[in-house]
Amino acid sequence: MHLCNTMAASFIKQVFIKIHSAVNSWERSHSRCRRRGLHRDVEQDDLQHNNANCLSSYYSVFVARLAIMVMLAILIGLLTILTWHFTRLYTRASLNALAYGLRYELLQRPVLRMWSILNSTVEITTAQVKLSEFVIRKYNKAENQAEQVEVYAIMREVTWALFASHRALNSITIKYKNGFVQAFHRDPRDNSTYYIYNDLTNYTMAGLYDVNTSSSHHGWNDQTIHSNISAVWYREPLDPDTGEKIGKQKAIPPDELINIAGISQVPYGAASWHVAVSKFTNSPLLSAAMPVRDAAQGSIVAVVGVTTSLYSVGQLMKELVEFHSGHIYLTSQEGWLLATSSTTPLLRNSTSGPNLMMAVDSQDPVIQAGAKWLLKAYGKKPPPNHEVHIEKAKLGNKLYYIDSFFLNLKRLPMVGVLIVPRKYIMGKVDERAFKTLMILISASVCILVIGCVCIFVLTNGVSKEMKLRAELISHLDARRKAEASSNYKSQFLANMSHELRTPMAAVIGLLDILISDECLTNEQYATVSQIRRCSTALLRLLNNILDISKVESGKLVLEEAEFDMGRELEGLVDMFSVQCKNHNVETVIDLSDDMPKVVQGDSARVVQIFANLISNSIKFTTSGYIILRGWCEDSHSFIENGNFLLEKSSCKKDNKVILWFEVDDTGCGIDPSKWESVFESFEQADPSTTRLHGGTGLGLCIVRTLVNKMGGEIRVVKKNGPGTLMQLYLLLGTPVDTPPENYKLKYADHNLKVVLALNGSMGRMILSKWLFKIGVHAWDACEWNELTHILQYLFIPSRYTQNLTFECSKDEPITKQEIEASVFIIVVDIGLLNLSTDIWKEQLNFLDIFNKRAKFAWVLNHDTSNTIKMELRNRGHLLMVNEPLYKSKLVQIMEAAIKEKTISLRHGDTDTHELLEIDNVHSDPESSNDSEKSLNSNSTGIVQVEETRRVVSSSRYGIVSNCFLELTEVCSERNKPGANEAFPVAINNDNAREKRVQYAEKTVNVQKSLEGVRILLAEDTPILQRVATIMLEKMGATVAVVGDGLQAVEALQSPLEDGMTAQQQMRDPPPYDLILMDCQMPKMDGYEATKAIRRAEMGTDLHIPIVALTAHAMSSDEAKCLEVGMDAYLTKPIDCKLMVSTILSLTKLQPNSHIIKSTE
Amino acid sequence: MSSVLQLQRQFIDYTTSLHNEGYLDNQFTELQKLQDESNPDFVTEVVSMYFEDSDKLLNNLTTALQQRNVDYKQVDAHAHQFKGSSSSIGAKRVTNVCAHFKGFCEAKNLDGCLRCLQQVKQEYIFFRNKLEALFRLEQQILQAGGSVPMVE
Repeated sequence: MHLCNTMAASFIKQVFIKIHSAVNSWERSHSRCRRRGLHRDVEQDDLQHNNANCLSSYYSVFVARLAIMVMLAILIGLLTILTWHFTRLYTRASLNALAYGLRYELLQRPVLRMWSILNSTVEITTAQVKLSEFVIRKYNKAENQAEQVEVYAIMREVTWALFASHRALNSITIKYKNGFVQAFHRDPRDNSTYYIYNDLTNYTMAGLYDVNTSSSHHGWNDQTIHSNISAVWYREPLDPDTGEKIGKQKAIPPDELINIAGISQVPYGAASWHVAVSKFTNSPLLSAAMPVRDAAQGSIVAVVGVTTSLYSVGQLMKELVEFHSGHIYLTSQEGWLLATSSTTPLLRNSTSGPNLMMAVDSQDPVIQAGAKWLLKAYGKKPPPNHEVHIEKAKLGNKLYYIDSFFLNLKRLPMVGVLIVPRKYIMGKVDERAFKTLMILISASVCILVIGCVCIFVLTNGVSKEMKLRAELISHLDARRKAEASSNYKSQFLANMSHELRTPMAAVIGLLDILISDECLTNEQYATVSQIRRCSTALLRLLNNILDISKVESGKLVLEEAEFDMGRELEGLVDMFSVQCKNHNVETVIDLSDDMPKVVQGDSARVVQIFANLISNSIKFTTSGYIILRGWCEDSHSFIENGNFLLEKSSCKKDNKVILWFEVDDTGCGIDPSKWESVFESFEQADPSTTRLHGGTGLGLCIVRTLVNKMGGEIRVVKKNGPGTLMQLYLLLGTPVDTPPENYKLKYADHNLKVVLALNGSMGRMILSKWLFKIGVHAWDACEWNELTHILQYLFIPSRYTQNLTFECSKDEPITKQEIEASVFIIVVDIGLLNLSTDIWKEQLNFLDIFNKRAKFAWVLNHDTSNTIKMELRNRGHLLMVNEPLYKSKLVQIMEAAIKEKTISLRHGDTDTHELLEIDNVHSDPESSNDSEKSLNSNSTGIVQVEETRRVVSSSRYGIVSNCFLELTEVCSERNKPGANEAFPVAINNDNAREKRVQYAEKTVNVQKSLEGVRILLAEDTPILQRVATIMLEKMGATVAVVGDGLQAVEALQSPLEDGMTAQQQMRDPPPYDLILMDCQMPKMDGYEATKAIRRAEMGTDLHIPIVALTAHAMSSDEAKCLEVGMDAYLTKPIDCKLMVSTILSLTKLQPNSHIIKSTE
Repeated sequence: MSSVLQLQRQFIDYTTSLHNEGYLDNQFTELQKLQDESNPDFVTEVVSMYFEDSDKLLNNLTTALQQRNVDYKQVDAHAHQFKGSSSSIGAKRVTNVCAHFKGFCEAKNLDGCLRCLQQVKQEYIFFRNKLEALFRLEQQILQAGGSVPMVE
């Protein structure tokens, strides 16, 4: 069993090894394929690493499996063996005990029968002897023949009685001394009984007596019998029951004599017995002999012999064997067969008559084999008492039990042997045992196999799990690494872009200086401007990267400042329209009237969002339009079916409004499957995008993060027709719930009539719709002919008299009064004029006809040449706006027209300087200053292009919102027709000269750019104190100087703590607009001072900008400065321009009102 | 007037040479630009302040380095201040040496510090002499009735 187990285990092991190697080879080839596919070294390494991991894990799993299986095998084997052993042991023991009892019993019975036969034989003999003695004593005085005969007759009677009473007797013989024999004999073959005697005549009484007398001397022997051969023997058949003579006596030859016991058989005068054979029976006979003594003399007078057949013993044996099977035989001690259970003859016929045969010569094969086996086993020396119990004797092909018992009779010791086939007793048991063993073995093998399979399956799961877990771990590891590297990347990008930004700012600043230089030639100027633009673009890219990394590291903080959303967006569209014009794309802005004018938020970021979106749209739109729509949640929530479903409750919560925007273009569109992914960083809808359109794929990512940061969402929305529709909403605060301007009421009583002659169909449509909505009559024209048609229709061009009438498109008759009262505005796109030839002058001549009736407003291109502008001015068309035309520009135009109308109605032809003020109403203070100057110098016209550039280069916007170039629309007004001669120098001079004038103005502007800014300078070195003070004062700033950080903190706090309440503190602006802080100072250094100031500011809305001054030039110092709460960083020696730009950028962050106030 | 012109030319040449030799840098020019009607003696004022300050600082540095246990932090602070004021005045070479000085202070190299101190002193004296010469020239021009020319 054990051997079997180990063999099975080794076999399983081999199988596993084979499977394992197969799996490995598959894995290897598979991974090789993968590697080939991937072609990436890093992955290869990873895979190899993984493979090694897998291999070791495989080994461990297999070893574990093997161990478990071997253990299982051992366990099952043990169980099987134990079960087998115990069941077999106990049954066998009990069966053996039972079998022993049975065998003993079986053998005991024939032996007992034998014993009883012997006993009865002896008893009969004894009885015969006693009776004979009695008879002979009584008649010992027989003197004559007659008496003798009488004695014999009596003897015959007596003997018959005994013989008849014992049926088992074969014969009784009495041989008298004188040779007379009396015998009764039963022949078992024909169940007849005979009386046998010899002829009395041959024996004389005398002889008898002689014998009697001399017998003591001579004795008598068998010789007498043999000598009596000549005597005649007779046999009489007798009735077996009565003993009556039933037949004639018949003489028989002496040969047929039965065994007559003679004196020789009682040699010592005692009883004796032996086994004999006779002709009449085929079974051995037991014959006993006993002498009959004369009581008086003690001499032997006769010998009695009793013969019993052993046939009945054989019979019993047969019966037993028939019932129980097996063989029994009895032998004498010498091995002569006495009785067997078989029917084979027990005697051997030899020449000298039948003889006893040895057991080994028996004709029964089993008995013969058993006897031979015993002889072979024990030889001539039988074991003491002849007791043998053999359980497994192999006779022939069968197993037998052999048991022998020794019956120790005096003079006739006997041995009984029982041969029982093993099958008889243990047959079933052996069979069952075999079956049980088979079942047990097969069951355990089954269990083993099932167990192994289970283990295999289970461990397979485990190993798979292990493999997965290992993979998971490696993936996690990889992810962690990737995250770490991504973090490093962000960090690196942030640092790098920060580092790069500073030199870029310097480059831009230097370029500005260069541009303002007067000795540049035109080409140089163009080149430098180009560099300036490129630098701005580069800086924008850097800002983008910084933004993303800022957002990624969660450092982006949005400002909360009030700004005019509409104006910012219009500026943005102004800026992009220049770019769009090159693409032949129309840029339109459509903001609904209900948008709050002022919102609270981070204007720069909001502008950045739209700048990115619009520039993105421009990139992909080659023809058509780009519309920026905006509306407020309240009014449109039903119309716009709310793509982002929002609860109404949330939209007005704590003064927040939800502003919806759409950027709609007619570009190539985005595949719907990319609608989500375009917002990922470095993701572009089409891989070819970079090649075709450039860009890094950062723009939309920034947009989304910013939008999300502002509590909004952005997504691409399905639109009809080609192009992309981006929809987003922002959650912005409104400072006060100002009601939106109601244009309808405003213009209702002015009776405005507007003719829109514009190229762009989209913008025109939107404007005319809006005009219609606010109740202003409007006519559309998209080309020159249409315009002339409308004009002629309106004004009946044939007559120039005042009493003209016309009908409007709705067939309303317009009376003269109405024309008087109404204000006609004709908005003409310069593109409608035929500029390629000189026809445009003719066209202008045509329009001049209407100049008195209506107010002309010209929409100029960015590349409209000065000649045309001059011409327009000369003709009195002073209302000019840059493309694109949108609502607020139209509003300005209309207001200007209305104002002019009212003034002209009141004062006739008067100066209308005020108009300029209207136009500049929401320009920043600088430009108002400029305008004032221009007014003073009586050169009111400011060329738009230059104005734009000026604002760009004034670092005020350049730093804070690089992407937002505010294009100030200037509606140059010249109301005095007679003042044309005084019009700008630009008319006479070339462009370059003009610019120089502008930049000369700008230099003045820069030098006084810090006008009114109050600066606290904390510096310990007196030289620096002095230098910085002078520098700042030259810029117009007010400077207070302190010697160390402690003083700085005190200077800042003292006014605050002078009995002011917290509310007052909140309301009153801080005493300084900005602090320039040296980092290394005695008593308290700049870092500590900044920390203290920031601590003091905590809990208030105040945030005083602090600029670090340090002689260190390491970025770590800058980081440290920013960390403690400073806003910017300047290195010594102080660069004047950089300082100014820094200060300006920081003070701009403060609410405008404050600076304006200080300007006043 | 020819002497004025000559003086002016001399002044320009001298200033240019100072720039070229690296004694002065643009910061000095910036200072000169800051001088105007409202602050007629601005440059002189600042420079004299610088001289006073520098004498004091050099003394401090010398004493600090003569201590048994040199307090490098203090030395560094002095050097830093000296560097800051020098750079503000446009004394380029002094500034550069100061930067070296600071490096040695951070490394706590006494030998280097002492060597640098000598260098700084030397450079400072050179600078002082040159500047004083420049101012003398300026005075002469002014006395001669000319105006001090600006050197870009």
